Amino acid sequence: MYEIWLVLNIVYEMALGMWPALLILLLIWLVLLMLNRKGLWVVPFGYLLTIAAGVAVVTGLAVPALTVSSFGNFGYWVDWANWLALSAGVGVTVAVWLWPLMARRYR
Amino acid sequence: MPSLPELNRRRWLLGAAGATASAALTAPAQAARLKTQARIVVAGSGLGGLAVATRLSKMLDGARITIVDKKQEHNYQPGYTLVATGVWPVSKVRDRNVDLMPEGVAWIQEMVAEFDPASNAVLTSTGQRVPYDYLVVATGTHQDWGLIEGMDVAAIGQNGLGSVYPSPEAAMATWQAMDAFRQKGGNALMTLPATPLKCAGAPLKMTFMLRDRLAQAGTLDKSNVTFYSAVGSVFGVKSVNDNVVGRWKKLGIDIEYTQKLKAVDIGARKARFVTPEGVSTEVTYDFIHVVPPMRAPDAVKNSDLSWKEGGFAAGGWLEVDKDTLQHRRYKNVFGIGDVNGTPRGKTAATVKKAAPLVAQHLVDVIAGREPGQKFDGYTSCPLIVREGAAMLIEFDYEGKLIPSLPMIEPLQDSYFAWLMKYAMLKPAYMAVIKGRV
Repeated sequence: MYEIWLVLNIVYEMALGMWPALLILLLIWLVLLMLNRKGLWVVPFGYLLTIAAGVAVVTGLAVPALTVSSFGNFGYWVDWANWLALSAGVGVTVAVWLWPLMARRYR
Repeated sequence: MPSLPELNRRRWLLGAAGATASAALTAPAQAARLKTQARIVVAGSGLGGLAVATRLSKMLDGARITIVDKKQEHNYQPGYTLVATGVWPVSKVRDRNVDLMPEGVAWIQEMVAEFDPASNAVLTSTGQRVPYDYLVVATGTHQDWGLIEGMDVAAIGQNGLGSVYPSPEAAMATWQAMDAFRQKGGNALMTLPATPLKCAGAPLKMTFMLRDRLAQAGTLDKSNVTFYSAVGSVFGVKSVNDNVVGRWKKLGIDIEYTQKLKAVDIGARKARFVTPEGVSTEVTYDFIHVVPPMRAPDAVKNSDLSWKEGGFAAGGWLEVDKDTLQHRRYKNVFGIGDVNGTPRGKTAATVKKAAPLVAQHLVDVIAGREPGQKFDGYTSCPLIVREGAAMLIEFDYEGKLIPSLPMIEPLQDSYFAWLMKYAMLKPAYMAVIKGRV
């Protein structure tokens, strides 16, 4: 579907604009992943889910202001759906990044 | 400890996965590249010129593609309204053309002074003759400031004079003028000429945002905002026009129809409007947003490439078939973007949709095939209605609203539409330049 391809390209172009920082984060994550690989699968799923939900809530509260808007400008369900998807996406990404760190406790 | 071959295998798998993801996003499909020695000239290095040149360079094997344009700075023009209303810094609309030139494409850094389609050549501003087999005209519009007596683009930003159109500097200066105006309030005039415009939503966005800035500053009750349209509407798509007129009525924005801005006295802050019947009215203002009449650049207008009769002849717009974007008389010539003499569509979104079609049609012609796709005139306008909200309006040649996704309500003010305008459309624009979307 064209719209999915378009969104992928938008995300790619956004990432290109901050690739040095993203690369450093990716490398750190890969190193942590290698170092803590033995504990990865024993990290409780609920623990990761709580982190993801917490980050999603903080992101969700901050995103409108960070984009020079406010909840008062949410007009219909499409706004809320996109806001939820964006917040959840950031939450899951942060939880996945933190996953190897959590695994240290269970190595 | 993993063995060395196992580590190598892992590295290879990681590398292969990364390369696949990267290749998927960085290279358009290169299947069946057409071998050709064709000389292709692309006149103009705006979004349309770069997008088509990039696509052609991927679709053709051996073609000699040359972009002719003097402009060194590439401006993200859809962002001008955000700069001119104090939302974005000006740096967000500035890039270097040298960074955006497609690989393997030659760049003559001169303006096209003349098109000579009868002998398949363009002449540059220094007299250089550049022959071609195929031509893509992507020169954009000419802003006819000379049609407004007393207007001085260099004075934008002073004496309450604003215009979002000429340049990033003008957009920035317009915000300075608007910011100064909103501190005290007063009489604001927003204008609209009678000619086709690039981004015809920009005058409306500026009006909505000015009203919002006055409300934020607490000076709305001391202000009058009046929109002077040279025609009988404020927007060419009826459903959008009616919606905007209704919103403005609620917001206290007045509209004067068939009032064309004829002259401006910048120092005295006076504007003169005329009706089609020749009745002249002088209005004093504290802030004015001037939108210039537009036409095709001289090189197109004065050439045999322009429309010679009909509604597009006066502006000298490029005579292309609205369905194929192929020139109606010179079949080796195509048009893309604002220069096209088509019913609608002078936006970046139009280029997004038209660039793949133009590139494909040019390849078809090189291959001896008839251009087979039909352009519907797709245009999109994230119409800002206040800071933080916009309407995502998409329409075709007929003015029919055609949302890309069925759940989008075009006339609903929405945070999502604002988010697109604020954060997502420039990345999309860059992907268009790179020939990926």
